Amino acid sequence: MSTLISELRPWLKLLARRRSRMALGALLLALTVGAAIGLLALSGWFITATALTGALLAAGVTASLDVYAPGAGIRFFAVLRTVARYLERIYNHDSVLRLLAELRSGMFAVLARLDARALGQRRASEWLNRLTADIDTLDSLYLRLLAPPLVALIAIALVSVLLGIFLLPAGLAVGGVLLALWAWLVVGQASLGMAASTRRVATLDQLRGRILETLQGLAELKSYNTLNHHRACIDADQAALYADQWHLGRIASLGNALVGLGVSLAAVLALWLAAEAYRAEALSGPLMVMMPLAVLAMGEALGALPASFTALGATRAAARRLNALGRSRSVLSESETPGVPVAGAPALRLQNVTLTYPGALTPALDGLDLSLEPGQRLALLGASGAGKSSVAALLVRLLDPDQGEVERDGVALHTLALDQLRTRTAYLTQHSELFDDSIAANLRLADPEASEVALWHALDVVELADWARELSQGLETRVGEGGRQLSGGQARRLVLARVLLLDAPLVILDEPFSGLDRPMAARIAKRLDIWLCGRTVLYLVHQLRHDGSDPPGINRSLTLRDGRLG
Amino acid sequence: MKAITDTMASRDAQNQEPLTSKRWLQDLADGERRRLTLATIAGLGVGLCTIVQMLLLAIIIDRLLTGAPEAPVGVFFAALIGVLGVRALAQWAQETTAQAASLAIRARARAALLDQLTALGPVQLSSRHSAGLGSQLVEQVEALDGYFARFLPQLRLATALPLVIFAIVLGLDWLAAAFLLLAAPLIPLFMALVGMGAQRLNQAQFAAVTRLSGHFLDRVRGITTLQLFGRTATAAAEVFSAADDYRARSMKTLRIAFLSSAVLEFFASVAIAVIAIYVGFGLLGYITYGPSSSLTLFSGLTILLLAPEFFQPLRSLSQHYHDRAAALGAAEALVGILNETPPAAAKATFEGRTNGGAPVVRLTDVCVEHAGRGQVLGPVSLEVSRGEVIALTGPSGAGKSTLLQLIAGFVAPSDGSVEVMSDRRPAWMDQRPLVIQGTIADNLHLADTQASDVAMRAALEQAGLAGLLSRLPEGLDTSVGERGAGLSGGQTQRLALARVFLSDASLVLLDEPTASLDEASEAEVAASLVRLVEEGRTLVIATHHPALIAMAHRVVHIVAGQRVEETTV
Repeated sequence: MSTLISELRPWLKLLARRRSRMALGALLLALTVGAAIGLLALSGWFITATALTGALLAAGVTASLDVYAPGAGIRFFAVLRTVARYLERIYNHDSVLRLLAELRSGMFAVLARLDARALGQRRASEWLNRLTADIDTLDSLYLRLLAPPLVALIAIALVSVLLGIFLLPAGLAVGGVLLALWAWLVVGQASLGMAASTRRVATLDQLRGRILETLQGLAELKSYNTLNHHRACIDADQAALYADQWHLGRIASLGNALVGLGVSLAAVLALWLAAEAYRAEALSGPLMVMMPLAVLAMGEALGALPASFTALGATRAAARRLNALGRSRSVLSESETPGVPVAGAPALRLQNVTLTYPGALTPALDGLDLSLEPGQRLALLGASGAGKSSVAALLVRLLDPDQGEVERDGVALHTLALDQLRTRTAYLTQHSELFDDSIAANLRLADPEASEVALWHALDVVELADWARELSQGLETRVGEGGRQLSGGQARRLVLARVLLLDAPLVILDEPFSGLDRPMAARIAKRLDIWLCGRTVLYLVHQLRHDGSDPPGINRSLTLRDGRLG
Repeated sequence: MKAITDTMASRDAQNQEPLTSKRWLQDLADGERRRLTLATIAGLGVGLCTIVQMLLLAIIIDRLLTGAPEAPVGVFFAALIGVLGVRALAQWAQETTAQAASLAIRARARAALLDQLTALGPVQLSSRHSAGLGSQLVEQVEALDGYFARFLPQLRLATALPLVIFAIVLGLDWLAAAFLLLAAPLIPLFMALVGMGAQRLNQAQFAAVTRLSGHFLDRVRGITTLQLFGRTATAAAEVFSAADDYRARSMKTLRIAFLSSAVLEFFASVAIAVIAIYVGFGLLGYITYGPSSSLTLFSGLTILLLAPEFFQPLRSLSQHYHDRAAALGAAEALVGILNETPPAAAKATFEGRTNGGAPVVRLTDVCVEHAGRGQVLGPVSLEVSRGEVIALTGPSGAGKSTLLQLIAGFVAPSDGSVEVMSDRRPAWMDQRPLVIQGTIADNLHLADTQASDVAMRAALEQAGLAGLLSRLPEGLDTSVGERGAGLSGGQTQRLALARVFLSDASLVLLDEPTASLDEASEAEVAASLVRLVEEGRTLVIATHHPALIAMAHRVVHIVAGQRVEETTV
């Protein structure tokens, strides 16, 4: 219980920031329930009162009843119920969506501080799906798990007081029964469903993974004749998922049946006590009728609780995952009083650096020592997976080493301001990442203040200027999702231009000319050579070809193999 | 000679019209008709119990107020409690039965989809995004739940229960019944309104959510780039404004969508209010028209108590309407898979081992056609002898892979004949081997479910993984994680090779086995392949890589679906 609350605390705090909004939403919800209670209770009172008065009139006794006030009251409650319900839905959905915007940007901020270890773990789309689903689960925390039980409590208090005013024992008894029911629906349902609903996402992931394996490995499974064996695994995973769902379904059904039973029994109890009082002439007939009817309307206030609380574990699991993300050792720390990297071409030093990716069987870097003098151009060679990108990632702190030290101009990297370090390092990664935006916007990522002239100059260096001038929308042409509107070579050159715009004293280029033909690579290399003057440069390349298409001005080369210098 | 004919499970697509999503949902419901009917009957039981409950309440109140001062009501209280118990049981039965039906239906739907996808085979599946398929088979099948578990049973109740209540009210007071009847023609209107609202809501939400996710995904995908340029704070602000913009826009739709159910609530509330006031005035004798003079406390109270129940099934239905929209949306996508035509059953014949010199594979004038692409291969003839290593070379798209798929039996020839003389299916390996989440042993068991530890160790050694295995404290029980996370490209490839060693397939088909490897790893794989040849197996390898071409006995060059030259080494 206390761990549950501590897991949900960060999210409850987030809700607390919008306290007044949440309170108003709950008030509207309570108004809806209150109107339903009022409508039934007043109608019952009114009909009984009119029947009794009618009987008196028929018997020739002079009697009178104000029919207009109750009639107006009934109409008022009828309209109030509808209007309050409509407003409540609009208002609370708006709240949820506001929360969603905050959660998403907050989550993005957390993601932005993660290192490459965490970000590289899963494919972006899968990760995103999981994250958005978790965020969506949490944004309903208020609408499903906070407001309804609170409003139900208010409604229970309302009904108990209403009954208690006229007949104290009825108020106490009904209040007691409904409170016990409420406690069961909130605590009992939650604890019965906790384990199975907490597992839900993991079990679904397991099933999805198994199905994906089957589809991707269909050729092998067919050729080894083990498809049926593998299908049995899928069936087993599905059976586990459905056993949980069946369990949860039965628990929720139990809760729903208990709401119906408990509310009705409370109504019968109210009628019984009221009948006793009526016979003892301590209560009027219309009030006696009002009591069970008011209690019957409580079904609406409690009806949503069983389903929500049976699934409480799903919210808990989502909160757990997101909390773990924010607390993971993959969050890059920044010192309280960060230093600023020196402006000139830096010296670099990696000392006995070891780095292991999660789940990897062998380390990516294994006790690596490496140093670069200011203005030097080092080519780091090696096969894919040899550890070249890991070295680059360490130098811009996309990663921190498990062991060892990384220094820039003799200063430990982790004492430097993260954004400063990164904007003073131009790193062209292996993949040409572009955003679904214009050419200009993609270039200005490096320098938001860059003038149009500067953009054209950068495009000139990579031989994209002529192509861009031909485009009807020029620099405003959109590049499509992930730059899909461009060819691979164009995308490569565009990201190279972007790196040039950053104008940083340290430049890391990973296969800068991949996907370009040799003459073009040679021409770009020549211009690049001039631009690189006075900067410290690290090239990451498979192997040198010595045919003019290698990166320019290499004055030292080292080969990495299995995370060590070979 | 025994002949094992391999027929792929396939739906006889010729005789069927394309399935529509509504038809499919109907078929699925028909498969669980018994449970769904039981759920509806239990639901009717709930409704009837509620009616009896209200009648008993009215009787008790009537006896208390208008009966003899000490009229016994205890027996009615007892009956009331009994009815409440029965109602709770019936409600439990309704929900659990519908839940069981929904579980069975989803399991069946998923099995049918998996059957269809395996029938479509590796070649046809390769054109689809497998992550997308995965989510379809999981999320979209799960999205069918609400439709069967809640909407369908409620749909039937929404027509039956109001009728019963109407009949009772009619018996008590026809004018009150007339008020209900006045509201009744509005019911189909409500349903249409609610339905349209829900649908519009769903479509609009879906489009907006897709746009928003697209924006978010774009930023998350490029998060490393944003980090590198120090732009993450700006991007977080953009994420917020995109989400907030989405809120503003979807609130516009929601305001209208909620209005339709508000109208339903409004009419229900007003009808109850009107009936309450009518009954009250009638009891007072203010209304002299019609049956109101004969209204009693009992009949008046019964009518008042039943009036909300008249609208209740419909209100529940409107709450479940989004279940229907979600199921229809999912079915739409899934039916697309079911309507695809699997390739004509590939009838490759795998015959028993032959004598020494006879060929293992004999292709005679085979052609392959792919829908929409015309003839992609042939006519080609090729004989492969036992123990031979053949390298298939040629530009990408020339038909090398198709030739391998033909021998494997994954595609059927449109013309010519394929004979594979082997008592087993050929072993298969391509550039992206299957790595399942589990241990190394689990991954090897894919080739032979009965393989012993000794055999697996031997296979790993022959595939060049003995070094790795010796470094793993948990040995064969080492978990290799999701999609081979933890294994390098070369190790993954060698794990797949270990499976080939483990299987006793005499014919091995390899499609670009070293395409994604660097030179060192390629050389190691080539060395393992040599050991396969030494075991006397026959290899057909589609490849560009010189190291593999060098080990072939014969190099068959294929251009544009034709054999153009052949080099015997």
